[in-house]
Amino acid sequence: MQVTETLAEGLKREIKVVVPAQEMEQKLNERLADAKNKVRLNGFRPGKVPMSHLKKMYGKSFMADLVNEIIRDKPGAILTERGERSATQPEIKMTEDEAEANEILDAKKDFEFSLAYEVIPAIELKGDSKLTVTREVVDIPDEEVEEQVLRIAENAKTYETKKGKAADGDRVTIDYLGKIDGEPFDGGKDDDAELVIGSKRFIPGFEEQLVGVKAGDEKTITVSFPDDYPAANLAGKEATFDIKVKDVAAAAELTIDDELAKKLGLESADKLREVVRGQIESQYGQMTRQKVKRQILDQLDELYQFDTPETLVDAEFNNIWTQITRDLEQSGKSFEDEDTTEEAAREEYRKLAERRVRLGLVLSEIGEKAGVKVADEEMQRALYEQVRQFPGQERQIMEYFQKTPGAAASLRAPIFEEKVIDHLLSEADVTDKTVSKEELMAEDEDETGSKAEASEKKPAKKKAAKKDETVAADEGEKKPAKKKAAKKDDAEEA
Amino acid sequence: MTDLRHYDVIVSPAITEKATMASDNNQVVFNVAKKATKPEIKAAIEALFGVKVKAVNTLLRKGKVKRFRGIKGRQSDVKKAIVTLAEGQTLDVSTGL
Repeated sequence: MQVTETLAEGLKREIKVVVPAQEMEQKLNERLADAKNKVRLNGFRPGKVPMSHLKKMYGKSFMADLVNEIIRDKPGAILTERGERSATQPEIKMTEDEAEANEILDAKKDFEFSLAYEVIPAIELKGDSKLTVTREVVDIPDEEVEEQVLRIAENAKTYETKKGKAADGDRVTIDYLGKIDGEPFDGGKDDDAELVIGSKRFIPGFEEQLVGVKAGDEKTITVSFPDDYPAANLAGKEATFDIKVKDVAAAAELTIDDELAKKLGLESADKLREVVRGQIESQYGQMTRQKVKRQILDQLDELYQFDTPETLVDAEFNNIWTQITRDLEQSGKSFEDEDTTEEAAREEYRKLAERRVRLGLVLSEIGEKAGVKVADEEMQRALYEQVRQFPGQERQIMEYFQKTPGAAASLRAPIFEEKVIDHLLSEADVTDKTVSKEELMAEDEDETGSKAEASEKKPAKKKAAKKDETVAADEGEKKPAKKKAAKKDDAEEA
Repeated sequence: MTDLRHYDVIVSPAITEKATMASDNNQVVFNVAKKATKPEIKAAIEALFGVKVKAVNTLLRKGKVKRFRGIKGRQSDVKKAIVTLAEGQTLDVSTGL
């Protein structure tokens, strides 16, 4: 077998492979000899079929098998031998002329085919250049915690029955029967309904007319349904409600004490504050992490500059582009509305695609070198999370993930990427900086502006990136790229 | 244009172990029509394949009586012709007509 390189331009490679006819024939004969004792042909005892007859019967199909096998196995072997990695499946070209193909199958002609592919550039990890990361930590002021606690308390408000008239903010318990033109209508009746006056849960005008009622009162009020009321048969109609007031209760004063905490299932008020603080912290923590992550990615982006395989960039770009155009179509906008031309947008997204691919390659390389692995239980957890998003069809989702190998890969990618980031973070120089909440948010916005010329386009990008995650499933190699890209955009958005 | 009747004489080549062995002796085996005679077979082979025939031996294999689920059936009779080619002549039946 002869392997000759016919093209090596940038990352593009073309390789011509020639398998001489004799070699093909020899391999064919080996196979025939192997099959000899197995075939049963009429008129012959097993194992007694003459070779020539066997060849006439099975030669062609064996040869076709052989050709397929060569095409399946050789490209990988050749690439390994050359120490290159292909960005995508190598494109294989062979003769399309039927007569020529027949001659090849008859082992009368050398079998030739060519491989065209793009190599993934060898990435040299720059281990010595340390990443520097500023981690912004928010010191959560007590007031914010207190505010949040108050909000929680609000929801858990208790009411005490009071004598006298109902006022704004009080809770009334009523039976009501609604009528239009003297006829009761569907959904216009309820017993023991609890309504907080001023909560605006009922149609406008309803609650206001209840101010001043007392327990035991009976009253008929007239309200008109708003024109945009969801139920078409009621919208805009005037209705009367016969109301029987059963109870009037005033809200208890809001106090944050152990009792409130107990009602919420916690031991004490201090504990409640602690929990709330934890929640807020984790919220900011996520934001911090995203910022840190973007710093890392930006630095990697600067650190690693190399040519990216065209085909990967094209694929990524097409993903983004179809998403963008669809979004635009749906919102009925054109590029002009977005203050840009199609060419300018194309160029911009092209750059974005290139960056994503490049960072993806870098991340996967780093991860591989560092031995980052995704454990089974982590996969399981991700799977369950995914399943939970589709209540009612858990079974199908589970099956889908079990049957489609690409789907599992799409789950694995984000986890892998997160772990690589963790790994990088553990090696980086991290300086903690305490900032206020406003600073954390504000700075982000600045960067969003500078990063992408048109910030209003971001949502589209993000969606495109999200979509990638699923699309990426079938190409294991570039997976981390896309996933990562998605995250990055998230960060930019935040 | 060869006589079409020759095609009625020769039914098919017999490709079996025994026929393969016979080819060592410069003989070829055919299934032929039951009514065919040796001179007819000789004429047909010489006309269709363009070879010289030295001799023709024939045999008539009688069909057996077979029973399937108690129903009697009878296999058809087959006439075979073992054709010996003249010195130096070859004939590859597998390539077909």
